[in-house]
Amino acid sequence: MIRLAFICLLCVASLASAAEREPFDDRYCTTCHGADGRGNEGVQAPRLAGMEPWYLKRQLENYRDGIRGTHPDDIEGVAMQPMAAMLTDESIQDIIEWVGGWNYVPAEHTISGDIDAGRTLYQPCATCHGADAEGNEALGAPALAGQNDWYMVTQIRNFLAGYRGVHPQDVYGAQMRVMTTGLNGENDINNVVAYINSLSD
Amino acid sequence: MPVSRREFLNLLAAAGGAGAVVKAGAALGIMPADAAASTLDLAAGNGRSAVILGGGISGLATAYELGKAGWDCTVLEASHRCGGRIFTVRHGTLIDELGNRQYCEFDDEPHMYFNAGAARIPNTHRTLLSYCKELGVELEIFINENKTCWVQDDALLGGKPVRNIEYTTHMRGFVAELMAKAMHESDMDEPFTEAEAETLLGMIRSFGDLSEDNVYRGSFNAGFASGGFLNEGVQKDIIAFRDLLKTPFAMTLLRTNEGETGPILLQARGGMDRITEGFLRQVGDRVSYRAMVASIQVRDDGVEVAYDQDGARRQIRADYCFNCIPTHLVTGLDHNFPAHYVRALKFVLRGEAYKAAFQAKERFWEKQDIYGGISWMNNRSQQIWYPVAGIHQQKGVILAAYDYGGGMYHTRMTQQERVEAHLADGEKVHRDYRNLVEKPVTVGWHRMNHMLGCSARWRRSFREGWTGETEDHYRTLQAPVNGRHYLIGDQVSMRSAWMESALLSAHWAMNDLDRRLRNAPA
Repeated sequence: MIRLAFICLLCVASLASAAEREPFDDRYCTTCHGADGRGNEGVQAPRLAGMEPWYLKRQLENYRDGIRGTHPDDIEGVAMQPMAAMLTDESIQDIIEWVGGWNYVPAEHTISGDIDAGRTLYQPCATCHGADAEGNEALGAPALAGQNDWYMVTQIRNFLAGYRGVHPQDVYGAQMRVMTTGLNGENDINNVVAYINSLSD
Repeated sequence: MPVSRREFLNLLAAAGGAGAVVKAGAALGIMPADAAASTLDLAAGNGRSAVILGGGISGLATAYELGKAGWDCTVLEASHRCGGRIFTVRHGTLIDELGNRQYCEFDDEPHMYFNAGAARIPNTHRTLLSYCKELGVELEIFINENKTCWVQDDALLGGKPVRNIEYTTHMRGFVAELMAKAMHESDMDEPFTEAEAETLLGMIRSFGDLSEDNVYRGSFNAGFASGGFLNEGVQKDIIAFRDLLKTPFAMTLLRTNEGETGPILLQARGGMDRITEGFLRQVGDRVSYRAMVASIQVRDDGVEVAYDQDGARRQIRADYCFNCIPTHLVTGLDHNFPAHYVRALKFVLRGEAYKAAFQAKERFWEKQDIYGGISWMNNRSQQIWYPVAGIHQQKGVILAAYDYGGGMYHTRMTQQERVEAHLADGEKVHRDYRNLVEKPVTVGWHRMNHMLGCSARWRRSFREGWTGETEDHYRTLQAPVNGRHYLIGDQVSMRSAWMESALLSAHWAMNDLDRRLRNAPA
């Protein structure tokens, strides 16, 4: 019902401007993010189902306002940014409710690494993201357990390379940039993500 | 004693009549056999059902062929239109690119269209051509290579555009001169008889239009500077060999008329989507639009598919499933495919091709003797295509950019940035281009809704080609899952991007299933 309301809202908006034209399909999220927002490695779009509403809201707003997804080397971010740019506050709220109706399916593990080494590396992360990577709304840190591991690898790389978290208004991103400097090279990244994977086994 | 080929033919003619001679001649490569399109001879469907995922040409051809054999077919198409990357943009067309939705504003005229995807049919693509004939799709000649078109490179003659024919005539002349010299200086005659060497030298002279002394002094092949009809023709100045070598087009211009995009090419009159319409005249009532697949479960006795339509999750069950959804979208569905199949799905990369077009307020290229063909630019827009449709009409639609390899350069830009880039590139070839064109459309295939990619990329690099690993994955995806689910489309071919490949892939799948059904115990 919520989803229906969301679709109708945008369809009406488009029909009003050009009645004779082909109305567009507004179920864009699942085109990239997979059926029921399960995430799709094929287009490197992360799992949305189960994502905290407050985190989803913050990221959609960041994308819309050009705080995230504007660095040309953030390949997937620059694909997401123009999608968010056309969203109103109202449609962001509708999307959050739509996503909230999807079944959470823990992501398939695709990364292997040294879990013991990853446990040590994860200790600073646990301060915000929680010992079980369950996330902490008060600290603005999303859950990591159950997220697509390839997505976490890409995002850590993006923070390290300065593709994400450099906009002056991206307060949480700036924190992540500082925290990721503790990871040295691809092995560390894989190990910490492998450990996060082990938390959702 | 070995029998010569001709003696062998005479022997056969005596034994089996002229028919045998023709067939054997074809086998020996002397006389050509008629071209044969791939055809199907499917057993009667006997009430069997198929669900076809995706209304691209492979899906529609499957619905058409199985339908003819009496199967009960349903096509689920995620978007508002069929055809996939057969996409003709004309007045009012919705370009549903993620983050960059456009409605085409071209004038509403039959010749004012742009083939944003499939645009050329090679004369050897027999299966597609045979469908065009069967479905009543009118064809016309497409002009790919037109040597009157321009070549432009900032490094060549200070960026001044040069006619393709000038460039290639001079290049051939200088190369022929080198060849003729090499022939005399080395002992090139050695492997040839005197007559052969004479012929070879004659070919080289003719190839480069050399003077009697084997020197290139320019050629009327490059066109006249003036005169030619009522007054004697005046030869154009030669462009120095060293200047010709300043552009990488030196490596490509002499072969753009060869291979798959060599003549003769054809196109559907009025737009390539006439082919889609041809299929839809036959199977349109089997297509369900805006039906987005969410789940594919392959069972022992059939396939269950869940899809979203009109805000509701729906289910359909069929005996068999033919699936032309792009591999990189299949990976995001709920499915029960085996692990090695999923690995193969993930191996295939998304194509990145990008195209753009303008409406031209006047056909300014015709004032430069250009009718169809391609101008080549050594910049990111790369090509300008001039239309065959609407010759001598007031307006026309030109392709303003075609990046067939690394289209992400433009895809990542905003619409305004893309358009400005094509104007800046195009005005290096056509003075006043900026004022002569309007109503831009751009298509970044990497972001087109429900496709998210141009043709499948199997090869990791052009240098590498198809490795054993690549071919293993390809055979995995070509084979049915549990005998019930076939992946089809040009993505399941060794030559993606062509409609012919998509059709042959569908035929392969249907033939494979037909063979298994015929061999199955009753």
